Amino acid sequence: MGTTDTTESTTPATEEVGWETKVRYFLNNDLVRSSPYWGIPFLLMGIAVYGGIGFNTAISLTDARGLQQPDYTNLDFEMYTQVFESSAFLSAAQNNLVLLVVFTTVCLLLGLFLAVLLDQGIRNENTVQTIYLLPMALSFVITAQVWLWLYNYDVGLMNIITRGIGIGPIDWIGNPSIALGSVIFALIWQFSGYTMVVYLAGLRSLPNDQFEAARVDGASTLTTYLKIIIPQLKEASVSAAVVLMVFALKAFTFLYSLTGRYRPPNGTDILATLMVRQAFKLGKWAYSAAIATYLLILALGVIAPYLYYQYRQGSL
Amino acid sequence: MADNDRPDVSTDRRKYMAAVGAGIAAGVAGCSGGDGGDGGSTSSGDGSSDGSDGSGGSTSSDGGSGSQWDTQLEVLHGWAGGDGEAAVNALIDAFKKEYPDMPTKFQAVGASANVNLNATILRRMVNGNPMSSFANWPGKNLERYRGNLMDLEADVWESEGYKDVMQGRAVDLCNFNDKLPAVPLGSHRMNNLFYNIAAFEEAGVDPESLTDMPSLMDALDAIKSETDIAPMGQAMVAPWTVLQLWAQVLQSQAGVDAYMNFIEGNGDRQAIVDSLELVKEIQQNYITNDASTSSFTDMGGKMIAGEVACMHQGNWLAGQFRTDDSFNFGEHWDWIPFPGTDGTYGYHIDAIVAPANNPSKDETIAWQKFVGTTEAQVAFNNLKGSVPLRTDVDSSQLGDFIALTYEDLTSSERYPPTIAHGLAVTPEQMGNCKTAMSENMMGPYDVEAAADALLSAVSN
Repeated sequence: MGTTDTTESTTPATEEVGWETKVRYFLNNDLVRSSPYWGIPFLLMGIAVYGGIGFNTAISLTDARGLQQPDYTNLDFEMYTQVFESSAFLSAAQNNLVLLVVFTTVCLLLGLFLAVLLDQGIRNENTVQTIYLLPMALSFVITAQVWLWLYNYDVGLMNIITRGIGIGPIDWIGNPSIALGSVIFALIWQFSGYTMVVYLAGLRSLPNDQFEAARVDGASTLTTYLKIIIPQLKEASVSAAVVLMVFALKAFTFLYSLTGRYRPPNGTDILATLMVRQAFKLGKWAYSAAIATYLLILALGVIAPYLYYQYRQGSL
Repeated sequence: MADNDRPDVSTDRRKYMAAVGAGIAAGVAGCSGGDGGDGGSTSSGDGSSDGSDGSGGSTSSDGGSGSQWDTQLEVLHGWAGGDGEAAVNALIDAFKKEYPDMPTKFQAVGASANVNLNATILRRMVNGNPMSSFANWPGKNLERYRGNLMDLEADVWESEGYKDVMQGRAVDLCNFNDKLPAVPLGSHRMNNLFYNIAAFEEAGVDPESLTDMPSLMDALDAIKSETDIAPMGQAMVAPWTVLQLWAQVLQSQAGVDAYMNFIEGNGDRQAIVDSLELVKEIQQNYITNDASTSSFTDMGGKMIAGEVACMHQGNWLAGQFRTDDSFNFGEHWDWIPFPGTDGTYGYHIDAIVAPANNPSKDETIAWQKFVGTTEAQVAFNNLKGSVPLRTDVDSSQLGDFIALTYEDLTSSERYPPTIAHGLAVTPEQMGNCKTAMSENMMGPYDVEAAADALLSAVSN
C-alpha cells in the first residue's frame, strides 16, 4: 500500500494533470499492479463457474429445446414448475438425497473406525493404508465394471458370500429397492479409504501426551476416544464430508459406467443422470437447465452448513 | 498419535506451487483450445486440420493437380468396435479408392447404443458447427434434428435414380419433413429367434414347430424341465431389449396390425396387457438369473457357451456368432422368425444423414451418392451382418446368412418398423416407452401400469 499512497497524497487535488499522468497513476495503483495475481484466477473462476451458472439459469428461464437457439425475449419459471411436477424428478431428487446422506455418513464412520484401528501401531501399517486407499485411485469406469461382475447374480462374489451365510442370492442391481443400496455400497468401498487417510492425518497430529494423561486419569480407551480424540477431529470430519458430498453428486460417472447408457439401473436415477438424459438424448435444454439449477440448490444446501461453520470459525 | 519431538516432514512448498501452476497452465491450454466446442471423446484437433485444408496442400499428396475437392468431408458414426468397425472400415476403404483426392475425416464416436454419437451430433448442431454427415436411424428418429437437415432429393436421390432401386419403404423412412436428408445403408431384421441347435436337440424341441406364442412357451417349458440350460437369454441391463421383445410378442399374439395401431397411438389396451403378461412370464421363469447385469453380448456369449438355448434379438447378434470360429451357422446355431411372425420382416435401418448448413456441400453429396451404390452396400453389409436396401443386388455377392435375410427383405408380406430403434416413434416417445418398461417390466412387475405408460408414451 505504502508507495502509491504517498504518490497520491503528494499530488495536490487542484493541480491539473495530463491524461498520461492519470494513466500512470492508475497503472501504479496497488489494485492494478497486483491484478495479474488475483485477476487471472478471478477471470477463470468467473467465466468457468459463475458464467456457467448464469448461462444455465438464463437458459432455464427460456423454452429452449431441440436445435433452435434459445429465445430470451420471454423469460419465465415455467420449466421449474414443470420439472417439479414430474414424478421422475421427485424420485431422482429423493435418490440423490439418500445417496448423499447415507454415503457420506457411512464413509465417515467407517473411515474413522479404520483410522483408529490403523493408528494402533500395527505391523505393515503403510502397506495396509495403501491397500485401503487404492480404490480411490481407480476410475469410476473401472470400479463400475468390477462391481457389475461382483454383483452378478450367478457368479458374482457378493452372491457367493450371501449363499455361504445362508441368505440366498440377491438381485443386487435388478431389484429397484436394493439397487440404490448396492450403488452406495460400491461407492463407500471406493471412498472410505479416503476418509481413513484424512482421519489418520488428524489422529497423527494429536500429541501422545493426551493419551497418556487420559490413561493416568483412569479413562478407558473408549472414553478416551469419545471424549478426547474424536472431538478434536472436527476439522477433518468437516473437510472430508464436503469432499464426499461432492463425489456423491458426481456419482453420475459410476452410474453411467454401470450400463453404458444415460439411463442408470432402475431405482438409482439421480438428478445428474436425469438431467443428462433430458438434455443430450432429447434436446430439452431449458428443462434440463432447470434440473441443473435444482441440483445446484441441493448442493448449496449441503455446503451451506460448512460455509456457516467456516464463517463462525472466522475463516471466511 | 504424533511424537512431538519427531521432525515434521512437510511438503516442499515450491514444488507444490510449481505443480499447481503447471496444472493451471494445462487447464487454460485445454480450455482455450477447443474453440468449436467439439469435445468429441475419440479425436481432437479438428480445428487445425480444417485450417490446413483451406490452403490446399496437406492432404492431397498427388502433385496438387487441381483437385475439385477443397473441403474436408467429416463423417461421424458410432461403429467403434467389433463387426461394426470392420464394416465401416470396408465402406471407408471403398470410398477412398473411389475418391482418392478427397480430404476425409471419419470419426468413430463410441459407446453403446449411440449415446455419445447422438449427444455429440446434437451438441455440434446446436452450436452451429455441423459435420458433413453422420450415421443415424432414419424415420421418426430424425425428429431430433427437425429443421436442420439437408435435402438430398435432387442432388443424390434423383440424380442417381435411387428412388427406383431402393426399397420403397426405405425411401419413405428417409423422407422427413418433406425432405430426403438420408441415404439408407443397411437393414437388420428384428424378428429373429436364434437358437443353439444342441440345446434344442437335447430338450427335444423342433424349431419348425414354433409357430406361435403357445408353442414357444411349451418349448421354453420343455427346455426348463428337460435340461439344465436356461431356456432363453434376455439382457436386462437396459430396457430396450424388453421393449423389442414385447414388440415381437405383441405382433405374434395380436398381429402386425395391433402393433401398427399401437405405434400410431391407437393401441388396443387389452392386447397390450396380454402380450405384456407373456413377456412377464418369460422373464420371470425362463431367462437367466443374471439378466439385470448382462448385456446382449454377454447373453450371446452364453449362447455360444451352450448355457442359453435361444434368444430374441435383431440379427446383429449373428455378427457376434460369426466372430467365433467354433460356433457355426447351421451347425451350432440357427434361427427362425420369431414364433408367430413368419412372413413378417421386422424393419430396422441404418442410414447416413446430412445436416443443413453443410460445411462441405459437394463432398457430402459425393459421399451420400456413394453410400447408395451397390459396391458400398455390399462392402458394408457383408461385414455388418445387415442387408442392403437396394433391390437390385445379386445375392451371390452376399454371405450365406445375409443372402437369406436379403431374400426375406425383398419378399416378406409385412414390414413393421422397429420401435426400439428409432423408426416407429419419436425419440421422446421411445424414451418414454423405455421408461415404461424400465419401471414396470424389469421387476417388480406391474403389467397394468406398463400398459398405461406405453399407451400414454405414444399418445402425444
